Amino acid sequence: MFLMNDENKKRSYKAQKVIDRLGKKLNRQMVGSLAACVHCGMCTDSCHYVLANPGDPTYAPAYKADKIRKIFKRHYDWTGSVLPSWVGAKSVFTDEELEELKDTAFGKCTNCRRCTINCPMGVDFATFNRMTRGLLVHVGIMPEGVEYVSKEQWEIGNQMGVLKEQYLETLEWQEEELQGEVNNPKAKIPIDKMNANIVYTINPREIKHDPRSILDAAKIFYAAKENWTMPSEGWDMTNFGLFSGDDDLGGAVAGRVYEKVEELKGKKLVMSECGHGYRSTRCEGPNWAKKDIKFEAESSVITMLNYIKEGKIHVDKSKNDSSYTFHDSCNNARSCGLTEEPRELLNYVVGDFREMYPNRAENFCCTGGGGAMSMSEYRPRRLQSAIVKAKQLEATGTKYVVTSCHNCVDGLNDVIKHYNLDMKVTQLVNLVSNALVI
Amino acid sequence: MSDKVQIKNKTLSVKQCDITDTEIDAFVFYARNDLKLGSGFGNAIALRGGPTVRKELENLGPVNVTDAVITTAGGMKAKKIIHAVGPKFQEQDTVKKLKLTILNALKVAESNGVEKIAFPPMGSGFYGVPLDESAKITTETIAEYLKNGSEIKEVVICANDNRELKPLQEQLKKLSN
Ligand code: SF4
Ligand code: SF4
Repeated sequence: MFLMNDENKKRSYKAQKVIDRLGKKLNRQMVGSLAACVHCGMCTDSCHYVLANPGDPTYAPAYKADKIRKIFKRHYDWTGSVLPSWVGAKSVFTDEELEELKDTAFGKCTNCRRCTINCPMGVDFATFNRMTRGLLVHVGIMPEGVEYVSKEQWEIGNQMGVLKEQYLETLEWQEEELQGEVNNPKAKIPIDKMNANIVYTINPREIKHDPRSILDAAKIFYAAKENWTMPSEGWDMTNFGLFSGDDDLGGAVAGRVYEKVEELKGKKLVMSECGHGYRSTRCEGPNWAKKDIKFEAESSVITMLNYIKEGKIHVDKSKNDSSYTFHDSCNNARSCGLTEEPRELLNYVVGDFREMYPNRAENFCCTGGGGAMSMSEYRPRRLQSAIVKAKQLEATGTKYVVTSCHNCVDGLNDVIKHYNLDMKVTQLVNLVSNALVI
Repeated sequence: MSDKVQIKNKTLSVKQCDITDTEIDAFVFYARNDLKLGSGFGNAIALRGGPTVRKELENLGPVNVTDAVITTAGGMKAKKIIHAVGPKFQEQDTVKKLKLTILNALKVAESNGVEKIAFPPMGSGFYGVPLDESAKITTETIAEYLKNGSEIKEVVICANDNRELKPLQEQLKKLSN
């Protein structure tokens, strides 16, 4: 009666590797989350996929979690070894089953952590979904886009494969723009300046698609008479390791940023507006990189807010004369508690700010989180789930949605286009720069 | 930490550099079986080298794991590229295959008159060979090859960052003892 019914089944090489590595990834927090679910269903309606697909139970967080939980129970929990069918323990045998797991871990969850904060038992599904992704990536099972972006960041040093010469040329071009806008040929975007107060790091999207945000930040630093610099390397503060579940990538990327700040003897690392970059570089990175960082690290939202409060820059909110709502990035709000500072800053630079509901830690994902923007095969599913976000945006009645995250900018733009909303996306850096009184 | 060893009048060294932006006879690109350049260093080859490399590869692939082929490097600072198809993502017999891939890359280089060649820490990073293991296999296999007599005069292992450089330096120190 205690015989395990699957013990003689042949297992694929990759499936065995996944099981072995799962054992190495278990820590107290992970085991707690894997063991604690009582299937009460209280997290179900917190997931935007569930709300957009009410008839489909495969989107429920607990259902998705059970896909990896059953493997954990079968191999690493004594109840599952002895009474597998009683506790829902089941092993994994084939590469096809691993592909199914991929479809769930990458294609049915944006790791937004909304279910996590709504679980009374403290089950952090998003964290072990990330672990599941990492197990699959380790054996080469991942969406093509994840493969593409991970390799860019491993080998070129940034998520978008921006070469050093392209990065430096863009900064040079933005420096010329800055000189024109502030009417001062001596205005600079300093590169690799030693002993600066601020080492400013960015999202590679700013080089590729949104150099205006670099110019806006440079203008703010100029107005504040800041002693600042941008690094020639280690400038990408985003981290695809957070999305792919690859802690080694996470450590390598964060380590490059930290080492450059140390090499330049910078006093403070400031990260431009990016939720996952902020979470990775400020919170998770030191663990992944196994490194103590001895300098301060802050979001540019805090830097800009302090400039206004300390009178280092002056702003005129009448320059931003439209209507604005604010979208909290999942990583900023749910994982880093960065909810009040962006609102305080926004209220300094716009006159008509209207909250979106729900907001702060309860806000819904832009649907582009967890690296979803790079996984084109899941785009239809993502956009279908985005009906939740679209309704939230529309209900605000504003012309602009402001966010503090480059990833959310892309996610929100996709939602707005797909659902034909009459809205534009902007970031705090753009609004602060526009409101500057120089 | 050691950055250089002499092996039978040949030099094996490690340094932090961008392998796709280095003046050298040839560098090794850890390639895919279909020889498509893909992202990462492949993207750098496409951007810095221009369309020539991709065109040359069209007639050479697909190839098997451990195989190596050579192309020109288009407009890059290097003259040639050795596309070496190493093992990926914990596949079976990774160590054996990795050694063979490095040896095949060296042989292809030598038979094409390459005297100075750059390697990355083979298989580490995206393809998941643990860094210490990669550093050990890469340095030892190259050192062994040079010891057995070779026309190749200089091998440089290019590390992307300090994290990669340190284990390579440690391995070099062991070799020089
Ligand atoms: S994860 Fe938490 S909220 Fe969701 S079903 Fe399990 S115990 Fe209930
Ligand atoms: S983390 Fe977000 S997307 Fe994933 S199951 Fe939970 S609520 Fe849904």
